[in-house]
Amino acid sequence: MVTLDVDYFRDLETPRLARLAPNLVAAAFPLMKLMPARFILDRAASNGELKAGSHIVETTSGTFGMAVALLAAARDYRLTLVTASTLIDAKYKARLERIGATVIALDDPRGDGNQPGRLERLQEILANEPDGFWTRQYDSPGNWLAYARLAELFIRAMGKVDCLVGCVGTGGSLCGTASFLRTVFPHLTVFAVDTHRSILFGQPVGKRMLRGLGNSVLPKNVRHELVDEIHWVGAYPAYRTAHRLLREHGLFMGPTSGAAALVAHWVATTLPDAQVAVIMPDEGHRHAETVYNDEWLSALPGWPCKEPSEPRTLTTIAPAAETQWTRFLWLRRSLDDVLKTREASDVPPAVGAAENL
Amino acid sequence: MAEAGDLMSRGALPSPVGTAIAIAHHGELIQGVFKDDDGSLHRGLVTLPIAGLRSEARFDRSDGDAVVVTPDHKVKAAAAARLTLDFLNVTGGGELTLQSAIPVGHGYGSSTADVVASIRAVAAAVDVQLRPSSIGRLAVAAERASDAIAFDDHAVLFAQREGKVIENFGGSLPPLLLVGFKANGGVPVDTLQLPPARYDSAEIQEFGVLRALVARAVRLQDPYLLGRAASASALISQRHLPKQGFNEIAEIARRGGACGVQVAHSGSLFGLIFDLFASNLKRRAALVAQQIRRAGFKDVEVHLVNAEGWSW
Ligand SMILES: Cc1ncc(COP(=O)(O)O)c(C=O)c1O
Repeated sequence: MVTLDVDYFRDLETPRLARLAPNLVAAAFPLMKLMPARFILDRAASNGELKAGSHIVETTSGTFGMAVALLAAARDYRLTLVTASTLIDAKYKARLERIGATVIALDDPRGDGNQPGRLERLQEILANEPDGFWTRQYDSPGNWLAYARLAELFIRAMGKVDCLVGCVGTGGSLCGTASFLRTVFPHLTVFAVDTHRSILFGQPVGKRMLRGLGNSVLPKNVRHELVDEIHWVGAYPAYRTAHRLLREHGLFMGPTSGAAALVAHWVATTLPDAQVAVIMPDEGHRHAETVYNDEWLSALPGWPCKEPSEPRTLTTIAPAAETQWTRFLWLRRSLDDVLKTREASDVPPAVGAAENL
Repeated sequence: MAEAGDLMSRGALPSPVGTAIAIAHHGELIQGVFKDDDGSLHRGLVTLPIAGLRSEARFDRSDGDAVVVTPDHKVKAAAAARLTLDFLNVTGGGELTLQSAIPVGHGYGSSTADVVASIRAVAAAVDVQLRPSSIGRLAVAAERASDAIAFDDHAVLFAQREGKVIENFGGSLPPLLLVGFKANGGVPVDTLQLPPARYDSAEIQEFGVLRALVARAVRLQDPYLLGRAASASALISQRHLPKQGFNEIAEIARRGGACGVQVAHSGSLFGLIFDLFASNLKRRAALVAQQIRRAGFKDVEVHLVNAEGWSW
């Protein structure tokens, strides 16, 4: 392998650090998912699971798929991404295919992402490929282990970190960074950012507007016991904060970064003596025609909305409108512990729509 | 003025005798496995030097080939002297005499101190000043695994089995006060009999975080961050070479306001790290020392690191 390749992707996966307030530092990633993708592939290559020319498979069509596609191209692996027709737009599919990935978009008659069908197809491919390798971003420990590098970068730049804010989709980035930071700063307070109608922190499943974070299945890499507070940010305030990141800081980031920045600003203002770190997972380019397009925005019902300046604190977990921002004190409990206190009929189903992570 | 020819040869030497010292250490701040720039893994450590204990070496050159060492069991020091003569392209041998106040077998680095002092004494005897990196490499060649004492108080992440620097932190450790003592009843550990620790992936990833803490601590002279790194490394070490009473010591450290707990990762030493400039330091350190003694630990001593004349 050419050493230069490794350096290139290590640089590309390295976030730029931005100081958003005297006590707030953001890690602004061009493509955060390169960090776990590179780690998982490196590890599999060194322990022999991934051989030269192997066939990599994954069920995502989101940013993790993009990251694996870039690495697979540079390292001569074949790649098949199994997705659902409802989850991928023609442009993104074309981009992945141009990089060399095979993208299988399954029918999705129920409109829930057809995750069972995707897993079945993935298993078929693996059964026929002795050299198949499944990256498993939902459950592979490699996903969270990779983020020790992010903890390192925060520490080198900030020293002591008191609060960490980040989105949760597979859980890899926030839970990985949090667990490494907490081994050296046990007092670390962790703020997880999710969106209404994602099941990750006990909401009932439903249609979500803000994509990239949240989930309707529960990945193993979400470790609830690390989380002190959970915030659910609707699509509108996430978009508005993304716009503000650009206008006030010159940072062109995706809407999940907006959601994280909204919560992080509030944490940094509420706790002025704490050093706060926030993870911002991707850039705005993919959203230029939507989140950064006034025409698209003005077609949204109720846009523009008033921006909430602080979250509404919930005592019972419940979904809210896309204009809303809510919070709940999770207090490092397991999901079961939190759900036990609720009506049995409220418990969300374990599987639902598949994801766009 | 010397002629060009004289500059290139080591013919006429001012003195055929060289003397040098090397300091001891109190085990490591961190020790584990670290990634280099191309992602490959290296065993490495950051030494915690204590200048109060030292080894002194004297090398008298002679025309005979042999290197004769006193005391005669210090064969690694003799090997180091030989390697240094070869490295410097010097013919002949000499008499190597070592005098050391460093206790053996607890993790004070007595063996490396002898080796480094010997390398320096040989170099001095031929009027050459070696770079720390060369001394470190020669030390590893002489004794297979060696700590970073060739760099004195300069903080480096050193690959102890390869003799090379993984990361140079670019400065000295911040001034510290160390309350040191021995675990496991003060029984010495035979370092070379220990199998190298096998770390899992989570530990290997965590070592990168500890390395970042040390880098920041050296850059900003921050004893607190150094203590956090040391404590985390000590905790990992507990899974590989457990020390009795670890939890009790961690509790004493916490209550006593120490920056952290530090261990010799292949020895019996324990240390509580304090910021040398913390308020009420003498009283707090004395109190902590008393609690440690009461808990049954041996040989409680105070060491100063980079204290620059500060007196206890
Ligand atoms: C844009 C964006 N934001 C946030 C996330 C959530 O990160 P994680 O999967 O590490 O929880 C993802 C995951 O794919 C993402 O693509």
